[in-house]
Amino acid sequence: MSAEPPPRTRRSSSLPSGYLALAALALLVSCGGKEGSALERVRQAGVLRWGADAQGGEPYAMEDPEHPGQYRGFEVELADALGRELGVRAEFVQNDWSSLIPTLERGGSFDIAMNGVEITPARAGRVLLSRPYYLFSLRLMARRDDSSVTGLESLRGRRVGTLSNSQAWDLLLSSGAQAIPYEGVQEPYIDLEQGRLDAVLMDDIIAQRYGMTRPGLQVVGDVGEGYYAIAVRPGEEELRRALDEALDRIARSGELRALFRRWGIDGAAQQRMVEWTEAQTREVLAETRTTRLGWSQLVLFLQAALVTLLVSVGAMALAIPLGMALALGRLYGPRWLGGMTTAYVELLRGTPVLLQLYVLYFGLASVLRLDPLSAAILGLGLNYAAYEAEVYRAGILAVPKGQLEAALALGMSGPLALRRVVIPQAFRVALPGVTNDFIALLKDSSLVSVISVVELTKRMTITAVDVRSWLVPGALCAALYLGMSYPLSRLARRLEAKLERA
Amino acid sequence: MIEVRELTKRYADRTVLEGVSATFSKGEVVALLGPSGGGKSTLLRCLNGLESFDSGTVRVGEHSLEPGRARTAQLWSIRRRVGFVFQQWHLFAHRTALGNVIEAPVHVKGLSMKEATERARELLAKVGMSHREGAYPSEMSGGEQQRVAIARALAMEPEVLLMDEPTSALDPERVGELVALLERLRAEGLTMVTVTHEMRFAQALASRVLVLHGGHIIEEGAPAEVLSNPRHERTRAFLGLGQAA
Repeated sequence: MSAEPPPRTRRSSSLPSGYLALAALALLVSCGGKEGSALERVRQAGVLRWGADAQGGEPYAMEDPEHPGQYRGFEVELADALGRELGVRAEFVQNDWSSLIPTLERGGSFDIAMNGVEITPARAGRVLLSRPYYLFSLRLMARRDDSSVTGLESLRGRRVGTLSNSQAWDLLLSSGAQAIPYEGVQEPYIDLEQGRLDAVLMDDIIAQRYGMTRPGLQVVGDVGEGYYAIAVRPGEEELRRALDEALDRIARSGELRALFRRWGIDGAAQQRMVEWTEAQTREVLAETRTTRLGWSQLVLFLQAALVTLLVSVGAMALAIPLGMALALGRLYGPRWLGGMTTAYVELLRGTPVLLQLYVLYFGLASVLRLDPLSAAILGLGLNYAAYEAEVYRAGILAVPKGQLEAALALGMSGPLALRRVVIPQAFRVALPGVTNDFIALLKDSSLVSVISVVELTKRMTITAVDVRSWLVPGALCAALYLGMSYPLSRLARRLEAKLERA
Repeated sequence: MIEVRELTKRYADRTVLEGVSATFSKGEVVALLGPSGGGKSTLLRCLNGLESFDSGTVRVGEHSLEPGRARTAQLWSIRRRVGFVFQQWHLFAHRTALGNVIEAPVHVKGLSMKEATERARELLAKVGMSHREGAYPSEMSGGEQQRVAIARALAMEPEVLLMDEPTSALDPERVGELVALLERLRAEGLTMVTVTHEMRFAQALASRVLVLHGGHIIEEGAPAEVLSNPRHERTRAFLGLGQAA
């Protein structure tokens, strides 16, 4: 998810870094040197490797449930047809959708990216795009009982879900809507149904499969259209031309629409794909745009850092008292309470926090409808309470038994003795652990982007894809994290030094 | 003041106290003597409910403790009237000398911080620790910690002061200072019960000694009498072994 390091395909990540450096060097040489060698390379290897994300699901490309390791979808069939036309075998390479283009650019382990890649000015400015192979509409959906969503104009300032860095994303931003980024195609419709979003704008293929099947939602209308095309590395013009010609042949022969029909995504409009001309390709690819990192992005970064800080501080403010209650329950409570707190700690500590966030936000949505920020704070807070409980328990156990006895001998009640004598001393022991946890939490807070909270890391990935560089946004992101965590650890160290004396 | 009747305390495999009865009167200073494992520390800890027991009763004034888990209200009222000085003092590690003495009066008795501080300063002066009121326990010697521990116990204005082996962690010259301090407290009429196996200390301070052995009180009387002319052979053996016991 967004917490992962900058994109890298599964294959290249398994290679030793030395090989990776060599491969990068080789790529630099090949890019700068002879043009058009990509097609030869594909032909010589006898395989056209195409990058896509099986998580994108139906009908694009997905893992065949009956034959694990094999893939199906209209793009899988199209890739096979393209391979046949080029005289090679097509091979699927899994890659996160949001990083398909950056991975292709930096010479990942696939030759082309084909996975609902839309023709946008930003993409046309970064990579080579083939002629389109599918015409889609941007479909706006809202709740059936909400008549206030009537079209693009009605979305100004409202929460609209979509995939980040998509054509719909750009359209929403330019029309003044509050675009909420998602990583999957199902979650935005769940949130729309739950009332956490006002509308969802997605490609019609997605809307048809994931949105229109929900009885509580309705189609407001199609507010734009666009094309899916194949992305090819810059400089590999010859490969692109070969793909264009192959697509032409597949479209003209009727095979393309037959394929669309099989997957239930054909329509009269797709005839334009059959009659498509080179002049039209030039026209749709004419507009290119390169975004640069500017002040406006810096402001967005700072806002995102504030969200990170808010989520972390909020979660810790919940984790500290809850963790203390858990630790006390486990140490001093009756047997049944001790058992329950132990179970809580083991459950929350032993399962991924990502899973807990999903369950809290999507899984329990029908009984507990939390907005994303509250769910993020609650989810991380509940999770970190389990860690805090153990830190405090260790701290309390480290306080000599005589301290409690001395307090009791002076006539203090158990709770008073804990509050006045044991816990303050336990806190001293626990402080380095608590600081450690808070800094870990600051970074773990990037996980909440899966429930559509745009925090620092998510902002970084969105911007990095936009400006086609991971270096500057990455460095900025790192600096902001450090800017938050370093003063905190300094403060903790000073506090420790102060307590050291006692 | 304190009355112990037929007190029995068992651990899983052995009996530590067996039918012990004793009375501690107001103004008395009693030393509990006997070999290690004889039950004297356990008896002391039963007197303020730090230790539960299996049968018998402990009565402090109008309050009494019964076998098993004590009722907390009774326990608190007894503990507020009975001060305890631990062998290892157990000063609150996160508080200064002054903070240690103030803690219970403010949070248990409900005294104002100002009043508690004034009283604490008087007590620190009394035990000769005024110059160290800002020191933390980790910065104090054993003797200093003990004097603060006594001041801390006295701050609750107890009617009885219980002390567990007060001399065991002191240099010989410090024992003299402790005796001088406790003599002053005795002169003020404070009832004290102390566990010790230092005869000189018992002789200097106590008005009565009890010798515990194997969970029984085997001998009782004025210190001069018991120490110079013990009737029980176990007492003789114990005194013969002297401080090695």
